[in-house]
Amino acid sequence: MDEPILSVRNLSKTYMQGKIPVHALSDVSFDVQKGEFLSIIGPSGSGKSTFLSMIGLLDRPTKGSVFIDGVEVTKATDSEAPKIRREKIGFVFQHFNLIPTLSAFENVDIAMRFARVPKSKRKERAAELLTRMGLRDRMNHKPSELSGGEQQRVAIARAMANNPAIILADEPTGEVDTKTRDMIVELLRGLSEKGQTILIVTHDTSVSARTRRIIKMLDGKIESDTINAVGEIKTA
Amino acid sequence: MNDLIIRNITQRKFRTGLTVFGIALGIFAVMVMGGMSEYFNRHSENTLNLVDKIQVVPETGYLGGSIDESTVRKVNRVPGVSDAYGLLWMPYDVEGIGLIGDYVVGIPIDKQETTLKDTKLKSGRLLLPSDTYRAVLGSNVEREFKIKVGDELTIKSKRFRGTSSITHERNFTVVGILEYTSSDYDNVIAIPLETAQKFYELENTVSYIWVVPEPSADGEDLAKRIELSVEKITALSPQKLREQVEKTLVIINLITLSSAILAAIIGGLSVMNTMLMSVSERTKDFGLMKAMGAEIWDILYLTMGESALMGVLGGIFGIIGGGIFIYYMNEYLSSMGMVLFAITPRLIIISLLFATLLGTLSGSIPAYRAMKMNPMEAMKYG
Repeated sequence: MDEPILSVRNLSKTYMQGKIPVHALSDVSFDVQKGEFLSIIGPSGSGKSTFLSMIGLLDRPTKGSVFIDGVEVTKATDSEAPKIRREKIGFVFQHFNLIPTLSAFENVDIAMRFARVPKSKRKERAAELLTRMGLRDRMNHKPSELSGGEQQRVAIARAMANNPAIILADEPTGEVDTKTRDMIVELLRGLSEKGQTILIVTHDTSVSARTRRIIKMLDGKIESDTINAVGEIKTA
Repeated sequence: MNDLIIRNITQRKFRTGLTVFGIALGIFAVMVMGGMSEYFNRHSENTLNLVDKIQVVPETGYLGGSIDESTVRKVNRVPGVSDAYGLLWMPYDVEGIGLIGDYVVGIPIDKQETTLKDTKLKSGRLLLPSDTYRAVLGSNVEREFKIKVGDELTIKSKRFRGTSSITHERNFTVVGILEYTSSDYDNVIAIPLETAQKFYELENTVSYIWVVPEPSADGEDLAKRIELSVEKITALSPQKLREQVEKTLVIINLITLSSAILAAIIGGLSVMNTMLMSVSERTKDFGLMKAMGAEIWDILYLTMGESALMGVLGGIFGIIGGGIFIYYMNEYLSSMGMVLFAITPRLIIISLLFATLLGTLSGSIPAYRAMKMNPMEAMKYG
């Protein structure tokens, strides 16, 4: 078996709520292989989003390690973190989080600017990604001129801009209608079939039902980790 | 990144406009006050360069009295003195005290070139031994009275008869006009000494004496020697004069510059306010940029670049505004016989640097906030 692209070992996170410690994550461990399409589900407060922010280096764990592509990212210093975020991780958020003053094209372009990609390559890549997302004619529109589905597709294109090892999607269908939701899930699944590792945090069981692997969290722990047969069949 | 900075500034036109206007007002104040300071500095420097002789004044001071002409001969006899001659000084406006504005100087005809030093004539000629009611004017006098060579200028004198005084006036024909020197010479109305003494009824009297030292003589020593040799006078060497003028200039500079800097700091606070607002509005954007892998330097560059650009723009507008104001103010003032402002390259460079620094520094606190933002927390804003 290949070395996992994501490896989580004994990850714990404890917040202090006043003087009371709250264990958002307790000793979580699992591996993710390259190209996996995986969902993390669980009720509110189960630790899913905390977990995602640990992997994405947006927050620091109290204990444990996360390895992405063999690199222990939880050991990264504040000055090393931006490089890891640029090169290893792509984020897709529930609220799309596009920069409102920039066009769809520029929103994809800006992610590559921080990676110091030359202008000509950036242009080429942004146009290619947006075309793949079916947004060729909407490239110069501002987020306010795009529908929720279109905005989320721009966000996916942006997440992919620097060829990250993993795309972390936090409730990517939380703000869209069911038709758009299906389209987004299909799009993400299509990307995973081409080798892109995708990890979705969701409440929505109809989303998780279409992923190949489902990790169910409860009270900061993994309650179950199952291969989803439906997802398998659908993918096939 | 620069295009992102420009875009952000241009997308918030009204706010940017107000902020730039705030800075521009501050820099306008720096230009105007600084221009005044520069003028005083330049004017004093030029005047001191022209007045490079030892000044012998009544012991009561410059405006305190007069000296008998026999004193000139006494000074001339002091070893180390190459030449000494008296000048009669009177304010042009007999009602004024003569601290500012034009003044009449009675000058020995044969000492004109020594007195004027490098000052050239713009038109006409200097006074000749045969001249009586003739005058050579400084360029501010020419501008004030819109006068040219051949025209006549009326000069008044106040003559005292017991407790009352009568004003006497006389037309003087202008024979020459001096070039602009940005010194006290621009306000001079030079007439022959003898004519001046007669006109003001101050025969055998001068206001002060100018002493040309011998080339080997030390100005400071000679001034002391003159004071010891001649009674009831004070002798000021060029160095001493410079020291006294510089002391006064320091005070003027402090007053003008501190008020200008205060105005500019108020402009800087408006940048800080705008940037704080702009950063807090874009909290989510900065959090997002960090999540996308932006380095802290990228965030700093974006925020401080924006405030620095506003500073530069404010600086440019302030300099242009200040320049236009100074130009018209000088035009207006020169019609009244004085100039009060000078624009120097140094002033422009300092104003622009100050504006840029002000913008950059005012942006540093908001930038620090943006830089320190936790991406997770920042994105919760949305």
